[in-house]
Amino acid sequence: MKKLLLSYFLMCFLMVTVLYAQNKTITGKVTSATDGAPLPGVSVSVKGNTSIGSQTDASGNFKLSVPSTAKTLVFRYIGFKEIELPVSTTVNVKLAEDLKALSEVVVVGYGTQNKQDLTGSVSRVTSKEFADQPISTFETALQGRAAGVFINSGSGKLGQGLTIRVRGISSISAGQDPLYVIDGQPVVSQALGSATEPDNPLASIAPEDIESIEILKDAAAASIYGARASNGVVLVTTKSGKAGKTKVNFTYFTGISNPTYRGDFLNSAEYRQLFTEAIKNSSLNGVGWNTDDAEDAWLQYGAGTDDWSKDYDTKWTDLSFQDGGISQYNISVNGGDAKTRFFISGGYNDQTGILIGNSFNRSNGRLNVDHSVSNKFKIGTNISIAKTKNNRVSSDNAFTNPLQLNAIPPIQRARLDDGELSDETLYYNNLIDLEKATAISSQLRSISNFNAKYNFSSDLSITGDLGFDITQLDEENYNGKETLDGAPTGLGFTRQVNSSSYNTNIYLSYLKSFGKHNIDLVGGNSFQTTTLKTGSSTGIGFPNDKFTKIASAAIVSGGSSTETGYSFLSYFARGNYKFNNKYIVGASGRIDGSSRFGKNNRYGFFPSVSAGWIISEENFIKSISKISFLKLRASYGLTGNSEIGNFPSLTLYSALPYADKAGIVPSQIGVDDLKWEKSKKLDFGLDFGFFNNRISGEFDYFNNQTEDLLLSFPLPAINGFTSIVRNVGKLENKGLEFTLTTNNLVGKFKWSTSFNISTYKNKILATDGSIINGGSRQLGRIAEGNAYGYFYGPKYAGVDPANGDALFFNEDGTTANDSDWDGYEQEVGDPNPEFYGGFGNTFSYKGFDLNIQSQFVYGNDLYNIAGFFQSVNGDYYDNQTRDQLNYWTPTNTITNIPQPRFLDGNGAFKSSRWVQDGSYFRVKSVVLGYKIPSNILSKLKVDNARVYISGQNLLTFTNYKGYDPEVNATYTGRVNLGHDFYTPPQARTITFGVNFGF
Amino acid sequence: MKANYINKIILAVLLFGLVSCDSELNFEPRQSIDATTALETAQDIESAVVGAYAIMGGGSLYGTNLNVVPELLASDTYFSWFGTFQSYRQIALKTMDANNAEASRTWINAYRAINVANTILANIDKISAGATKDRLTGEAYFIRGSMFFELVRLYGLPFSAGNTTTNLGVPINLIATTDDKLASSLGARKTVAEVYTQVIADLNQAVTLIPNSNPTRATKFSALAMLSRVYLQQGNYTAARAAADNVITNSGKSLTGTVGAPFLNKNSSESLFEIQQNDQNNAGTSNDGLATFYASLQGIGRADIRILASFRNLYEATDKRRSDLIYSAVGARAGSTRYHTGKWIAFGSNILVIRLSEMYLTRAECNLRLSLPFVGDSPTNDYNLVRNRAGATPALLVSSVQTILNERVLELAFEGSRIHDLKRVKVSTGTFPYDSPKLVLPIPRREIDANASLIQNPGYN
Repeated sequence: MKKLLLSYFLMCFLMVTVLYAQNKTITGKVTSATDGAPLPGVSVSVKGNTSIGSQTDASGNFKLSVPSTAKTLVFRYIGFKEIELPVSTTVNVKLAEDLKALSEVVVVGYGTQNKQDLTGSVSRVTSKEFADQPISTFETALQGRAAGVFINSGSGKLGQGLTIRVRGISSISAGQDPLYVIDGQPVVSQALGSATEPDNPLASIAPEDIESIEILKDAAAASIYGARASNGVVLVTTKSGKAGKTKVNFTYFTGISNPTYRGDFLNSAEYRQLFTEAIKNSSLNGVGWNTDDAEDAWLQYGAGTDDWSKDYDTKWTDLSFQDGGISQYNISVNGGDAKTRFFISGGYNDQTGILIGNSFNRSNGRLNVDHSVSNKFKIGTNISIAKTKNNRVSSDNAFTNPLQLNAIPPIQRARLDDGELSDETLYYNNLIDLEKATAISSQLRSISNFNAKYNFSSDLSITGDLGFDITQLDEENYNGKETLDGAPTGLGFTRQVNSSSYNTNIYLSYLKSFGKHNIDLVGGNSFQTTTLKTGSSTGIGFPNDKFTKIASAAIVSGGSSTETGYSFLSYFARGNYKFNNKYIVGASGRIDGSSRFGKNNRYGFFPSVSAGWIISEENFIKSISKISFLKLRASYGLTGNSEIGNFPSLTLYSALPYADKAGIVPSQIGVDDLKWEKSKKLDFGLDFGFFNNRISGEFDYFNNQTEDLLLSFPLPAINGFTSIVRNVGKLENKGLEFTLTTNNLVGKFKWSTSFNISTYKNKILATDGSIINGGSRQLGRIAEGNAYGYFYGPKYAGVDPANGDALFFNEDGTTANDSDWDGYEQEVGDPNPEFYGGFGNTFSYKGFDLNIQSQFVYGNDLYNIAGFFQSVNGDYYDNQTRDQLNYWTPTNTITNIPQPRFLDGNGAFKSSRWVQDGSYFRVKSVVLGYKIPSNILSKLKVDNARVYISGQNLLTFTNYKGYDPEVNATYTGRVNLGHDFYTPPQARTITFGVNFGF
Repeated sequence: MKANYINKIILAVLLFGLVSCDSELNFEPRQSIDATTALETAQDIESAVVGAYAIMGGGSLYGTNLNVVPELLASDTYFSWFGTFQSYRQIALKTMDANNAEASRTWINAYRAINVANTILANIDKISAGATKDRLTGEAYFIRGSMFFELVRLYGLPFSAGNTTTNLGVPINLIATTDDKLASSLGARKTVAEVYTQVIADLNQAVTLIPNSNPTRATKFSALAMLSRVYLQQGNYTAARAAADNVITNSGKSLTGTVGAPFLNKNSSESLFEIQQNDQNNAGTSNDGLATFYASLQGIGRADIRILASFRNLYEATDKRRSDLIYSAVGARAGSTRYHTGKWIAFGSNILVIRLSEMYLTRAECNLRLSLPFVGDSPTNDYNLVRNRAGATPALLVSSVQTILNERVLELAFEGSRIHDLKRVKVSTGTFPYDSPKLVLPIPRREIDANASLIQNPGYN
């Protein structure tokens, strides 16, 4: 591989050519036809020779030397209509605004295309749409903005990975996340940390550095990424320098955040009332404690304290939260000339979570430079480095999860008389962790690339790039001796992860127009290799909490180092042919070889075909002036999913220690034929624009059939293995997507609306009979004929009015109480939404602008596992949700809450009792800004300035009774979607910000 | 410049890129080794034997469940379960369903250990004949026999319930799994009697092959002691007595001076078989492991198993098993009248599976049940040996089996034998008769789903 690199650099150096003579100078000024304001950054070029060009400076002025043969100048500026003018010494231009949004250029794999000519389905979100919003990681910018992209933040924990699914769920046991490609390089997006809940390595990417995000959704768009494209591809393009006056942009915002909901639990009086009742009705009454004596019962079965007779009233759930906050500084410098352009940025983002002990900060820097060595040869580099530091909180399923404090009875106090935190609580008082424990995850990451492009002619070019993605993750935990996990002597843990990946792309591009024919060809080769090394150690026995490094530990009780890796060798090609500006056909393909595939199936081929018909170019439509654009498109192709683990095809032995002796045991049974999962993706789309594109949009139907699903196929354990990975399953995702953008008002008062709605219907078609159950507490299940993760379990039938027994449905439809119930389980819900989407409105008037973006999910079910403990009519001493007060009594017989019977488990096992509708509508962000008029600014030597106030998650409408309907307790495993277990809610954040441009 | 020259270079680079990297597609795992090279030498096989012990020491088996589950099934008049784990709570309440996580993982790991044993036996001929080969073979048999025994008594109706040739035990798999086809093969449940026959055959092999001494691992006497348990469970008192007497007479083991020593010290003079643990490698410190569930000490244990005061009172005031092996909770759920066993108080302590005092009590019980003459020693002497060591009042004459059974409860409390003893002497626990299907673990739902030839136990679906 070293040789390859060497040759690669050699290529870069040798691609030097001669400059040619220029002999005519043109100057001029470009202004906006709408308001006469100068337009900076307008591209000015000679028609037919795009390599000769310049850009306007901040005042709209340009200067360009052209060959004497030049006849026509072309002026291009995004958002404005392109204009062509004859060459003369002075050319002043007024550019008209263009509402024809469809003419925008979108980034696709290994190149760009005009949106108009696309035959694939691509969603695009640009920096403009998420500017000024305090998003903690760039993926959240897609939420509610990109049709077909479902995002669930999972929880309000900072630094935690999100769930992103493009067009449904395409896999059962292989990866479900899209492939992330940043500036042409596939990057590591999987969690690297050791905590139960995933961290998010993408949080190190500063949203401010991003120019656009494209999501490749169908085969036509994505199959050029072959075996890694089944879950969609997210292309991130960072900002690049623009020629012209050097511009400095400074942005700052700061704000506060609070939980969207704090929960509703019993206070002490209510708690005593409920448990007095529960004690009386228990079968242990008079056995486990003196008859009807709740105080005695608490002594016997409670925390072993006399709290029952005290008057403490602690609102534990409030103690889990703190006032959060966010501040961010970012400065970027952007400029250059015709030869060299640069973009430099640096920023610092500091967030304090709403959960106690949770915080995140990021420092980031970037240098993007491109340089034209000659009119034929261009080189460039994108270098970024970011450091993040995350004070993490425990997994949802840990006593140390701050939200589990709500399980502690309100009759207990948080601090003892001496002011020290109480260690007498029913469950661990994890406030102790806040004082005596830390869990820090720091990451240093650089995603950088070097690229070169050589134009053999105006039609043919070769591009090469070499990218690095290097991440160093450092986890350091310390738990003092007073903490649950650190007792009795203190516990220190440290782990280092080194993930390094490098990637090369070399490809030829050919772009040719002749007569009515347009041809666009790309073909090349790519190689990527990634290695992951970890090292960790654990120590116990610390002198005191001032010593937290393993060096101070009396016993180094554990240590480990691991290494793994994978590689891909790929060949790809794409061709598009357009005839007469109306008819487009396209084809693409990729051959992917990977170390992950079994020895009998090393290489896979992933082709696609597509076609488009721009109906609006047909004469019979052209005459209808109201229709500005109409295109039908269709695509079909194959993609693969290679996120199958690094060595799934091998039969392996691993070490297993036995006290101080090393043992080995069989750890995996393999299959030589093992390969990628295969998705056959079909897409029909309609793009439209009416009334000069004031109304525009897209409509898509997709049908993705995924085959050869890698199933961790359950084996009869009697042979020593519980599962084997095989290509056996099939599933499908079908759905519709609709995006509508309207410019409702275009005068001085501007109002535009964007709306998108998507559906996906997921169905598991075949699993070779195997069924995957989510676990003993969870309801998620995967079984043939049902949606991924549908809820399956005992169905709750309410309360018997006669005696207060919890009832469950038997197989024959009759009902029975806990002890007589026949154990029949059935479908009790579906965590997949019926539809989801977003709705945004932008208003502007003079210097004011207002952007309101909302997001909705409808028809999904949620299961609150914590119901077992907190909404279970006083089965044990956990504090209960307030709705439990409506329990059955001889006088309150019509209720859904069974009679409280302490420790008798009346309706206390897993059932649909805690399944709820999870639909919600959320006002995700509101930004109100004011652009300070330029006449004020010019005196201050400021080009532009804007102040704004912004709110995130301001309002949520839902019937869900838990903390937050946008929930996914990831620790429960991937089968269990829509599960909630003391999962923290999202933050509601209000920020104030300023932007200055110099 | 010379465009042609440049083109050639670029073309060369491109072609180089296209052909050079194929070998880069070979990545070898670093933490694991390929099965084809895993078991080649005696040392490899020795490692696999150690691996099998490690599996047995895990939380699913002796590390937690093979102790805790039989205790929970018989918790009535004994202790209260306070834990939050639904799976254990279901067992304590006898409301298990087929998804019970403990029933699943114990089943899975017992068969995992059995497969390692089978794999050792399948590869054992790679070692030349001799003491090492015999020892490793014997250990494999010991592991396999012990696991089948644990399985059959948890997942089948008790031997004492009769109908042993029709009541279902567990599947018997004696073939090493080497490929995906073997890994998928289905096996039906064998009868209780068939499984016991297999257990006895395996343990007899172990007795023959393992030497008298085999530090920190199973010895000939570990196998004999286990065999004694098996016979006792079958009500075969003659054979149980012979095995127990053989252990007492020939093992060179002796009761420790104090009741706590077998638990506090590793591999004490009383130990017949124990799981080795240390601070790094143990069954668990927060969600698994005996100390985790039994203990309530500063920073140790969840205090999930609290001894009933009435049970504590079964010990005389002078009994060291009361004063030294029962303490008031000082950690989780602390309280002066909340009692916990002192047998399992440290995460890194070894886990005693069989110890000598059980052999004395077995011999005493069998001697009483069988016609004279006594083998070894009189029941009274055996009984008093155990009593005297504990500081409890000895008996002048032990004439009733019940006396021995009562002593067994006191001596072996919290060591995982309670429900098995109740079942073999046909005594109910709470309202559940000894042969109640509610006292039998379900065949795990995942197993029924994966293996259509399995029949679920009565009372589960």
